[in-house]
Amino acid sequence: MELVNLLCAGWSGVVFLFLYLPIVLLVVYSFNASELSIIWGGFSFEWYEKLWNNGPLIDATKNSLIIAAVTTVLSVVLGTVGAWLLYRYKFPALRALGTLIFIPMVIPEVIMGVSMLILFTVVAVPLNAWLGTFTEAEFARGFATIIIAHTTFCFPFVLVAVQARLAGVDPFIEEAAMDLGAPPLKAFWLVMVPYLLPAIVSGALMSFTLSMDEVIVTFFVTGPESQTLPLKIFGLAKKGLDPSLNAVSAVFVLATAVLVVVSDRVRKLNR
Amino acid sequence: MQAALGAPDTTGTRRPGVIGWLMMTPMLLWLFAFVIAPTLILLVYSFCQRDDLGEVVYVFTWDNYRRIFFDSDTGAFGTTYLTVFVRSVVYAGLTTIICLIVGYPVAWFIGRAPESRRNLLLTLVMIPFWTSFLIRTYAWITILSTNGLLNGFLQYTKLIAEPFEMLYTPGAVVLGLVYSYLPFLILPVYGSVEKLDNSLVEAAFDLGAGPMRAFQKVILPLTQPGVIAGVLLVFIPAIGMFAISQLMGGGTDPTIGEVIQNQFMQARDWPFGAALGMTLVVLFAVAFWFTSRHQSVVEN
Amino acid sequence: MKTIRFVLALTLLAATALPSYGQAKKKSVLNLFCWSEYVPQEVIDGFAKETGIKVNVENYASNEEMLSKLLAGGSKYDLVQPSEYTVESLIKAEKLEPLTAENIPNLKNLDPKFAKMPHDPEGKYSVPWMAGTVGIVVNTAKVKTPITGYKDVFDGTHKRRIVVLNDSREIVSWALATLGIGPNDMTPENLDKAKPILSEWLPQVKVYDSDSPKTAFLNGDVDLGIVWSGEAAILWKKDKKFTYVLPAEGAHQFIDSLCVPKGAPNKENAEKFINYILKPEVSVLISKEFPYTNPNAEAVKLLKPEQRANPASYPSGDLKLETFKDIGKAAKDIDKVVTDLKGRKAR
Repeated sequence: MELVNLLCAGWSGVVFLFLYLPIVLLVVYSFNASELSIIWGGFSFEWYEKLWNNGPLIDATKNSLIIAAVTTVLSVVLGTVGAWLLYRYKFPALRALGTLIFIPMVIPEVIMGVSMLILFTVVAVPLNAWLGTFTEAEFARGFATIIIAHTTFCFPFVLVAVQARLAGVDPFIEEAAMDLGAPPLKAFWLVMVPYLLPAIVSGALMSFTLSMDEVIVTFFVTGPESQTLPLKIFGLAKKGLDPSLNAVSAVFVLATAVLVVVSDRVRKLNR
Repeated sequence: MQAALGAPDTTGTRRPGVIGWLMMTPMLLWLFAFVIAPTLILLVYSFCQRDDLGEVVYVFTWDNYRRIFFDSDTGAFGTTYLTVFVRSVVYAGLTTIICLIVGYPVAWFIGRAPESRRNLLLTLVMIPFWTSFLIRTYAWITILSTNGLLNGFLQYTKLIAEPFEMLYTPGAVVLGLVYSYLPFLILPVYGSVEKLDNSLVEAAFDLGAGPMRAFQKVILPLTQPGVIAGVLLVFIPAIGMFAISQLMGGGTDPTIGEVIQNQFMQARDWPFGAALGMTLVVLFAVAFWFTSRHQSVVEN
Repeated sequence: MKTIRFVLALTLLAATALPSYGQAKKKSVLNLFCWSEYVPQEVIDGFAKETGIKVNVENYASNEEMLSKLLAGGSKYDLVQPSEYTVESLIKAEKLEPLTAENIPNLKNLDPKFAKMPHDPEGKYSVPWMAGTVGIVVNTAKVKTPITGYKDVFDGTHKRRIVVLNDSREIVSWALATLGIGPNDMTPENLDKAKPILSEWLPQVKVYDSDSPKTAFLNGDVDLGIVWSGEAAILWKKDKKFTYVLPAEGAHQFIDSLCVPKGAPNKENAEKFINYILKPEVSVLISKEFPYTNPNAEAVKLLKPEQRANPASYPSGDLKLETFKDIGKAAKDIDKVVTDLKGRKAR
């Protein structure tokens, strides 16, 4: 048993090396003096300076973070509640529903992007006519449409992860709490959520990652005010990826890594 | 497959009452508005024609589907696009198997780590993927290319005399796929490993079962829901991917994702792209339905 | 619980960011829909400063991406940036607004070679932005035999050392060029003639890449390639061993242009912008960022000698250049031929 765990730990070390190998490389190359990211031309802080002065790139990073955060919240709620209900109740045509959820996962991004674009365009006309009767606001492609599209392909990931966690659980476990007088929502919150938490965390991490990195669907549903980081980067690739893009990734990875480790330490100290 | 479908046949599940349906409404609405509606649009398009500019003309035709299965010149059975489908499934399948072998022990390690460190480790698995896909892939290109770091290292250590071709091969594509999808296997498997009762595992070992036997008889069955979820989350998205095979494979062996991408982004043939997409969805649904049915028969 | 509070805060932040869309409209604006990074930020800032017009930029990475969003409708773009064959099909489909020449006095700076080209015979709808060619890049350190045309690239001695654009129409037009057929004669008969040539050629290709074919050169994975002149110019700047050859059989010249789509809400601002970028001192800024052929004769005079010496940007000699015309539905046969041949391996 000990031996098996030790082997797994060693293997995990190797896998972490594999996962971080390109990341180490891009951090190193963010200090590259050459403007083409694939040739080493000496040490330089030039790209960090350029990044600092690149307003649109920083704005795009902010937009991406906002979109990913909202998408994650929506996906977690939809996915967790959906998985629970599908598990608890015997819905008619459940199998069809189960398959439907996978459609956003299986179809290539370009198709999803195009069909969402058409959908939003078709919907926009009557929706705006209706909105116009009582408000100045207007439905246009932008943050809202990107978040909708991202949530549509992210929430199945949460749903699948939570369903796996649910397997074998007594479907009426939270009724015990209800019998003790807790309202259904509170019972769900107190009994199910803590139990499902590991799967919810996994699902949230996957949603956030998918949303941060999505480019094709985003292209079709974005508006002029909602450029995201991946969109910017794909555009820049045409001109030659300059190391300021490595710099933005490096800053991002290091910042999150530090944040995660520090918050972990703080939590331990508080205990 | 049962777990993924929500275990419709488990005893104890029941028909939803008013509250059940009410709680289900948000997800149903979402599915109708943003999954079913776009899919229907796609279905309609797949039976339409295109004009010179590439705009869709609403005139019914079977042509788009005929083109997938039959050669347009000779009318004989054509394998052009079927080859592409098969290739995509092979890539996705290989990727899934490798991810499973590589990722399972990592999920095990994280799930058995002290409780306070699990979320930290999970986040560490994910952080590399918060960089841009394109930048990560270019980093791999820098590593694998002929003048790249790996060839340089191997030559420096005298392991090889001449640089050998790693980039722009099917192997490079699978490497890229495994790298990109590994976290989507580790995370759901972790969810199952985490709830595994330690005493059960230890009991298996105490009763004299070797590690292999304990794994086969106790651990695997108990973590099966997580494994199935992980396999789904890797295999399904991997079929439709296109950028990795293009960048790391050099685009010489097109996948279905690439071909569909081309219909929309180059040939301006939306109806044919839609037909390819619908075929993919239907093939997937049939396979899914078949395996899940097969599974429930075996289980019962 | 802390994480939940953090997420809630982020959600609120996002919600407050949403309504900002409607407010920008009251000021004088220009909605520019252009190739990613093709319009330098310096130019946009300069225009905004000079005119007080707020520029909203949205990007795309290919003509087809632009078309799909433009045709979907519902967007209010004032200025788009299509290539020549897309300009032609947009004119045919009556999706463009004619330009008012009086509002664009700087049109006089254009090289007459680039005015009134076949895709826009009267020059009524489009103004050239940058021009370029598709040609052959040779790594002369590795390839010692002279390369003059497509046939030399695919003569069989450079097997799996070749990168080409991942663009079916380009690829087929090269094969046609070796037969003396122009790139716009995409008839089924001509396509049949091209097939045997392509089945010889395509298995020799190692990489298909339209976005950054220079990567494969710089990494040493290929020695020859048929790529955009802009990519070739960057390679030449990096190392003079990468020479650019315009194929003897004839080459594709592309013209990226500026056009005003039908129903643009701010047509005058679009014309102001066109006029602004036609100023020689502004046009030079674009040349600095993108080593393509500048169609602005006055701007070319201001370029540094080494910029003009770049053979990929300003090729000399007797050239057989042809622009693409819209080929409509023939695109689907081309796609099938190329998809079919791609998977096959070199023997």
